[in-house]
Amino acid sequence: MIWLGWRQQRTEALIALAIVAALAALLIPTGISMSSAVHHESASAFAARFSSLGNLIAWLTLIPGLIGVLLAAPFVLALEHGTYRLDWTQSVPRRRWVATKLGLSAASAIVAAGVLLLLLTWWREPFVELQGRVAPAVYDSEGTVVFAYTLVALALATAIGAVWRRAVPALAVGLVLYVGARVFVDTWLRERLVAADTAVWSVNHKAPNLDKTWILEQFPADGHGAHIPNYSCQVGAGGACALPTLHHGFIHAVYQPASHFWSLQLTETAIFGAIAAALLCFAGWWTRNRVA
Amino acid sequence: MSALRTEGLGKRYGGSAWALRDCSIEIPEGSVTALLGPNGAGKSTLLEMAVGLLEPSAGTIEVLGHSPWEEAEEMLPRIGFVAQDHPLHARFSLGEMIEYGQRLNPSFDVRLAERRLGRIGAAPEHKVGKLSGGQQSQLALTLALAKRPELLLLDEPVAALDPRARREFLATTVEAVAETGMTVVLSSHIVADLERICDHIVILSGSRQMLAGPIEEILARHRLLTGPRSDARTVSRVHQVIRESHTPRQTTLLVRADGHVYDSCWTPREVDLEEIVLAYLGYGELEDRCDEEAYA
Repeated sequence: MIWLGWRQQRTEALIALAIVAALAALLIPTGISMSSAVHHESASAFAARFSSLGNLIAWLTLIPGLIGVLLAAPFVLALEHGTYRLDWTQSVPRRRWVATKLGLSAASAIVAAGVLLLLLTWWREPFVELQGRVAPAVYDSEGTVVFAYTLVALALATAIGAVWRRAVPALAVGLVLYVGARVFVDTWLRERLVAADTAVWSVNHKAPNLDKTWILEQFPADGHGAHIPNYSCQVGAGGACALPTLHHGFIHAVYQPASHFWSLQLTETAIFGAIAAALLCFAGWWTRNRVA
Repeated sequence: MSALRTEGLGKRYGGSAWALRDCSIEIPEGSVTALLGPNGAGKSTLLEMAVGLLEPSAGTIEVLGHSPWEEAEEMLPRIGFVAQDHPLHARFSLGEMIEYGQRLNPSFDVRLAERRLGRIGAAPEHKVGKLSGGQQSQLALTLALAKRPELLLLDEPVAALDPRARREFLATTVEAVAETGMTVVLSSHIVADLERICDHIVILSGSRQMLAGPIEEILARHRLLTGPRSDARTVSRVHQVIRESHTPRQTTLLVRADGHVYDSCWTPREVDLEEIVLAYLGYGELEDRCDEEAYA
């Protein structure tokens, strides 16, 4: 049965591999020149030279989603083309067919995510010194969330495809829902996963170093904590709010420090991982009991 | 011992109408049975329940002594099934299709599969998706036969085939039956092809079973009675009237006779299988052929 599962998913697995390989061909040469430059150039020179390249990585967060829905295709295609009916009337019970197919696609997704993660982590290494790892644009291409993103995209497309049994629309809707879920988590949920730190300082004192943190909110306030209207922050050294025209009052900053990186990562991984597991179980149950 | 036995078997999809209802049949081991009926009569539903693709909604079904839905693991290696649209892995080559059969079935007969596929005239590298319709149905049948099944179930195997491919398909089936003595159930809405290869029939209509039994016995018991115009009631006291038709001067009855027809008003004539099947399905005109010949 593993032979069949692999044979049916070979093409998609090779496409996923080609995506990662193309990315590697793009990232490895620049990665090598960056890792040598970071030791020889000053931080500002390095930032000037490579920061536009570094911003590219925000787009790479789409790749786990693409690979995930792609690896859902073999399962949905077997349902769409009706070949599952041939498979289920050989000598393998459908329970094992479902478990093997879903297991193989999840395993492929984990392998692809792992390779992607290694590649991105290695490539971004020089930037960690400059930007840290917790800011939204870079947070989601590192750590364990890459596995969870790939799996949740796979599980969404698989579950929709199990019910719909049409590969192209199921994969498209799966990808859209994946992007929707990611946008929701990135813009609303993630900052609430772990209680943020708050810093308060007087405008007449030196601002704390908020470098390499994820600043959620900064505002000027009076001694009672009430907002002072008509002032908006200018970003000063270390990302902290600077208000040269304000002479009395305090600045409040709410932020996720770099030390929260792993607790944020593991909480988000657990959430997406649980959703992915639930969706895959549902797809398996539905296929086993409702598809004929 | 019966290869397939159902008791009050029924299937409904969702909350909708019954696709098959109250079906009780027994298919003896070693028989070749035609499952006849118009489209939508529940033939595919019955076969899909027999191979464990569908769960029965009512009643029981037993295939080779097992419940297909609950005991698939024990039953599946012993049956061969070719679905109506005979799905195949179009991206596989013929050689891979044989490997597929071998890997998914413990008792797959590779030599038998290779020998049969050698005859369809395509190389092992040939992609399944590029085979002709006739070649694909031969491939589907080959996969089912190479499992060395005790029971072979074929759903409308010849409906989509041209006459030549149809003849080849049926010849392959007959040959395999002669070699192995396996039980075969094949469904069809065409009677003509099946009479040559079948020895039992089951007629389904309107999701119910109308008639089941050995063809010989069915032929022996059905008679076409022609006589002066009269009421069918006198006959129906003794025999079961399946279908009647009247002209101003004469009445024609197709009856299932319990014993001989002694009433001298009626002229009995033997009927062929197709007439019987059509009568049970409720269509086809009853005509006395002798009359037609007289006019001709």
